[in-house]
Amino acid sequence: MVFRGEIFLILLASSSQDDLYRWERGVHSLATVFCSTNLDSVRDELVRGKPQILLLDHDLPKLDGPDGIAGLMKLNPETKFIVLSHSISDEIEWALFRTGVRGCCRSTIEPEQLKAVVEAVQHGELWIRRSLSWRLLNELVIMTQEKNRIKRAVGELLANLTRREYEIATLVGNGESNKQIARRLAITERTVKAHLTEVFRKLDVADRLKLALIVKGSVSTNDATQTGHS
Amino acid sequence: MQTVTVAIADTNPGRRTKLEQCLRNGQGIEVLTNVMVNGNHMTLSHQSELHASVAAVEDIIARISRFKPRILFIHLDPSDDANFTLLDALRHRCPETFVVLLTDKSIPEEHILEALANGARGYLSHEADPFYFLKAVRVVDSGEIWATRKMLGKIMDRVLH
Repeated sequence: MVFRGEIFLILLASSSQDDLYRWERGVHSLATVFCSTNLDSVRDELVRGKPQILLLDHDLPKLDGPDGIAGLMKLNPETKFIVLSHSISDEIEWALFRTGVRGCCRSTIEPEQLKAVVEAVQHGELWIRRSLSWRLLNELVIMTQEKNRIKRAVGELLANLTRREYEIATLVGNGESNKQIARRLAITERTVKAHLTEVFRKLDVADRLKLALIVKGSVSTNDATQTGHS
Repeated sequence: MQTVTVAIADTNPGRRTKLEQCLRNGQGIEVLTNVMVNGNHMTLSHQSELHASVAAVEDIIARISRFKPRILFIHLDPSDDANFTLLDALRHRCPETFVVLLTDKSIPEEHILEALANGARGYLSHEADPFYFLKAVRVVDSGEIWATRKMLGKIMDRVLH
């Protein structure tokens, strides 16, 4: 693995000397390796050493599962986390991935296999069990469905506007002020306001921020209304 | 081993025949050749030319509903970046059929990702070793997905960001 102008660092974190020894054997040829045996040391190394990869024992004392790992990630968002464990449920493992962990494997993994995991993760791959991958795809599909639903709803809403109203709504979506819109369209600010009043009425929104969100396709009118009430 | 029924939607007869032969060599796989009749093996590209007409999608849905293949291989054409209507419709209306995309090097990863986001359960290259087609059928039949770890990384990136 070659990184021009930078030293590739891997941080190993476990309270088990046996695990650290075995992991180190697997990855020592890839990078400079540091070891931590407690959480405080992991925090320090993440901030100071900025390792590219962290191999983290899920059983490290005081780690506190996915929440604790999320806290560690904030210390150096660039570090890719690989969590090693003796036995965790599918739910916890999935929660780790949702936190942003890039790989999960057994603490007892063979050194050569661990090397393959690190190389894969370093190249942007996700080391996830096939039996969990359907959850990942399912989440993407649900997310896409929701986006499509909003897109359709926004399309239907905007179709109710006149050409001029649509033009002005789009400019509001781009963040332009009434003055800028008036200048751009060679009309008075008063006319812009009149058109906007009609746009707000047709889309049932109260202000230009919500209008901008709708035009950008981020939310449907119902979602925008709910946002306003929250 | 339970028999898995497979259909292929690809307008290229050479590729289609090659894949049919490959699948027939697999134990417990039944290839349904009469799903797309009259040589009308629809692909996503073909659908695009028809402007993703409701009628054309309905036709495919009707055929798939009738023959109920467990796995449907569909050739994904790179020139079509909009028509995921069919995938979406298949996912909703033929949930017992899982779509696996057939790809080649010309297809951008983003296009494949979009197809997966619209309901495809996996993808593999026309050039893949026959072993992987047979394995993909088994894996997807069991409810899992068939994608590279790199693609899984991209999916996770999209889900999280």
